[in-house]
Amino acid sequence: MATVVATVLDEERPDPISEPAATDPRGRLSQLLATRPDLVITALLVVAVVLVQGLNIDNFPTVSDDEGTYLAQAWAIQHGKGLAHYSYWYDHPPLGWVQIAALSWIPALIWHGPLVVMHARVIMLPVSAAGTALTYLVGRRINLPRWAAALAAVVFGLSPLSVTMQREIYLDNFAAVWMLAAFACALSPRRHLWHHIAAGLCAAVSVLSKETMLITAPALVMAVWRGTDKATRKFSLVGFFIAFSTIGAQYLLYAVLKGELFPGAGHNSLIGALQYQLGRGGSGNILKAGSVSNMTLHWWLVRDPLLIYAGTAAALAALAVRRLREIGVAAVLLVAVAMRPNGYLPAMYVIQVIPFFALAIAGMADTGVRGLLRLRFGVLGRLDWLGLGRWRLGPRDLVAVLAIALAGVVAPQWEAGDETADTAYSNNEYVAAADWIRANIPDPAHQRIVVDDAMWLDTVRDGFQPGLGAIWFYKVDLDPAVTRTLPHGWQDLDYVVLTSIIRQDPNGLPTVRAAIAHSTTVATFGTGQQQITIQKVDHTGSGQ
Amino acid sequence: MISAVIVLCSLMLFAVAVFTLWWMLHAWRTPETLAATKFADPDGTGALSFSLLVPARHEQAVLERTVLRLLESTHPDFEVIVIVGHDDPDTAEVAHRLAALHPEQVFVVTDTHEKKNKPKALNSALPTCRGDVVGVFDAEDQVHPDLLSHVDHAFRDTAADVVQGGVQLINFHSSWYSLRNCLEYFFWFRSRLHLHAAKGFIPLGGNTVFVRTDRLRANDGWDQNCLAEDCDLGVRLSSQGAKVVVAYDSAMVTKEETPDSVVSLFKQRTRWNQGFLQVYRKRDWRSLPSLRQRLLARYTLATPFVQAFSGLLILVGVAVALFSSVPDVVALISFSPLIPMVAMFAFEAVGLHDFGKQYQLTIKPSHYLKLIIGGPFYQLILAGAAIRAVWRELRGRKDWELTRHVGAHLGVEAGTAS
Repeated sequence: MATVVATVLDEERPDPISEPAATDPRGRLSQLLATRPDLVITALLVVAVVLVQGLNIDNFPTVSDDEGTYLAQAWAIQHGKGLAHYSYWYDHPPLGWVQIAALSWIPALIWHGPLVVMHARVIMLPVSAAGTALTYLVGRRINLPRWAAALAAVVFGLSPLSVTMQREIYLDNFAAVWMLAAFACALSPRRHLWHHIAAGLCAAVSVLSKETMLITAPALVMAVWRGTDKATRKFSLVGFFIAFSTIGAQYLLYAVLKGELFPGAGHNSLIGALQYQLGRGGSGNILKAGSVSNMTLHWWLVRDPLLIYAGTAAALAALAVRRLREIGVAAVLLVAVAMRPNGYLPAMYVIQVIPFFALAIAGMADTGVRGLLRLRFGVLGRLDWLGLGRWRLGPRDLVAVLAIALAGVVAPQWEAGDETADTAYSNNEYVAAADWIRANIPDPAHQRIVVDDAMWLDTVRDGFQPGLGAIWFYKVDLDPAVTRTLPHGWQDLDYVVLTSIIRQDPNGLPTVRAAIAHSTTVATFGTGQQQITIQKVDHTGSGQ
Repeated sequence: MISAVIVLCSLMLFAVAVFTLWWMLHAWRTPETLAATKFADPDGTGALSFSLLVPARHEQAVLERTVLRLLESTHPDFEVIVIVGHDDPDTAEVAHRLAALHPEQVFVVTDTHEKKNKPKALNSALPTCRGDVVGVFDAEDQVHPDLLSHVDHAFRDTAADVVQGGVQLINFHSSWYSLRNCLEYFFWFRSRLHLHAAKGFIPLGGNTVFVRTDRLRANDGWDQNCLAEDCDLGVRLSSQGAKVVVAYDSAMVTKEETPDSVVSLFKQRTRWNQGFLQVYRKRDWRSLPSLRQRLLARYTLATPFVQAFSGLLILVGVAVALFSSVPDVVALISFSPLIPMVAMFAFEAVGLHDFGKQYQLTIKPSHYLKLIIGGPFYQLILAGAAIRAVWRELRGRKDWELTRHVGAHLGVEAGTAS
């Protein structure tokens, strides 16, 4: 033991490698590749993912009302109106849209697109970039070789399902990235107490971005256990838990300070929202045809069946491989929760699973390759029985053949999916409707227009009063603060922008229905499912 | 306006608490750091000679056992110098008897200063030291027989000028405050001092400290007018660029007892704090080479006061946030210093568990409870002592407060735990 008490600061010696030796740029790049290969690989992966996801990001997929919701809430934060533009009702912890608000200066730098939600999607690119880099990093930290870690990052960022979902302004995208960061910290090779505290912080931010990420917490605890040394584990675990719980407790503290922890008359409450979420009608058995969950699953399968099937299989198999176990546990827990016979399964749920599927797939690919390379072919490998006397088949050849074959199966599938994503125009109707409103409705400051969440910010931008002039359609009937301002019911409304989201609304919403019934169509955009019509409410009419 | 003040104070408190926490946890940062806090195994050859100073005052009851235990040391070359006061015949009698029994190894020096204190006693003995290294122990210390060999090895292995060994209060079960007091020492010697050694600024402890004799003589020994002469010596030596090495080994720490009452704890803290103030005002630390070291010095010497006042400020802040109407965000921020405080409690509980394991002591759930509940009250004592120290310093009262009362007391002026 020569480790006494070493307490002198090591004098920094000049590192011969980091000295700028060559001026030839090619030399520098290859030098960088030689000294920091992971950095170069990560940079290339990030560029590829950002390019594929960024191309046509505004036009595909169709803007969803959730994107509009979060963006509008971020807008409320930016404008100092609190956590939401209507009263905040603890539907989700607010850290997700706090981050959206923090990033929303980015789109303005680049271009002002026709629809606010569309051009705000740019803020998801740095999120995807961080997710890609972190997937690679976590891959390396569970001892994947570089090719496998890169494979995980590619699956994470380039699967058609990822390209579609990660473009959208969903809280889940933020939560998944923070959870990846938590795993990366937990498995840090330096086993530094600070890294384990940081893992707790990242996990708390993740859960406060989207509460369902909590499902993966047991796997993260396993990762912290594995990432710590016996000598310092007690301190590391306590650091992790304390960081996680004290940051998480800020949400409770907020509710307490507002007097909104417990349900009561006249105010929203954290516990009330929790009761609502737990009692929320399920979306049915995922495996039963016709249920909403099953339709959601089908929608995922249409985008990328390979990721779903291979990911599930790899996650289960990963449970048996020591270095992949935490990843496997995280993925299996998420899958198990999705399969609850009567749980609620939102379409963006899959976003949380993708990174763990990606890592499990890459991990199992690496395990498979290692197994194959250990095989001995003996006589079989000589191939003279096939008449190919001079050729010998080794395990490496087999791996190469399999890799090419798999790429041949996956590539066309992904190519088609990603091409759709990069070329389709799914938001033309929304753009046209927004343009029409801007050009044809005079004096917006004194008009009351009912819109879905996706269009709300555009109407506000055009001069309608946020909240009571431009109104989220379900607030008309469900928010007493809004209903109170409509003493004559539907007759106080001027326009309804009828989109598929409003047509499909399950809540009934009598006032909105009545307004639509007493209106005439003044403009129509698109056909079928995606059709948008602008209804002018006829205040004197008796309805049709 | 009130919001801005709240936010500023909260963030400052938060930063202070995080720093304190971070430094307190230094040893457990990585497994490698923890391993490096230990003594290396000695190679068996002793090359240095030691002069061990044992100042004793009204300590006739414990002195003999301490000296006999020191004589059991496995190191081949050391002398024990007991320092007694000319006005303390009982202790002197024990010392002279021991010297007569072991004429080769035990010597007695009589301190004839009119007013007595520990640095004066140590300085009286310094001219008679024959060893290469001077070590200081208190009269009731239990010293491990292998300690000297390890220290000898540490000196040669690292070319150190100073080696600080561990000191541990051990009677955690005596009362609620002794539990906290023991833990304070645990975190200080087990962890924080290592950080100071690494950064090149260290206030030394009062015993189990070993200094090369020539270094000590070049500095004219200890500062007789300083109430924290140990801290002062450390600061002076660090400022001269001396290399200080800290080693902690639970098998080889010097075990001591906590002050025997809350009042003596309070007085002891007053003296330390006043000593820290004096060292701060002596400004030796200003000759430290780097800005970071000077900042660390400033902060460390001011810590007792920062801690005292931040505790009070947190209470005020939370009350203001609860009872005055400020924006939600401001209220949330005003609670942020509680985060590192809760973390501190949790890490203290882990430290208590570790302490129990290392010293084979049974820690019961009630002890954890005492630890947590005692926290704020202990903080109050510290805050009171800090305020009293400032008060005494301003009034120019710089005498040692423990003259008559107790003998067992003298032992605990050891560490500079704060």
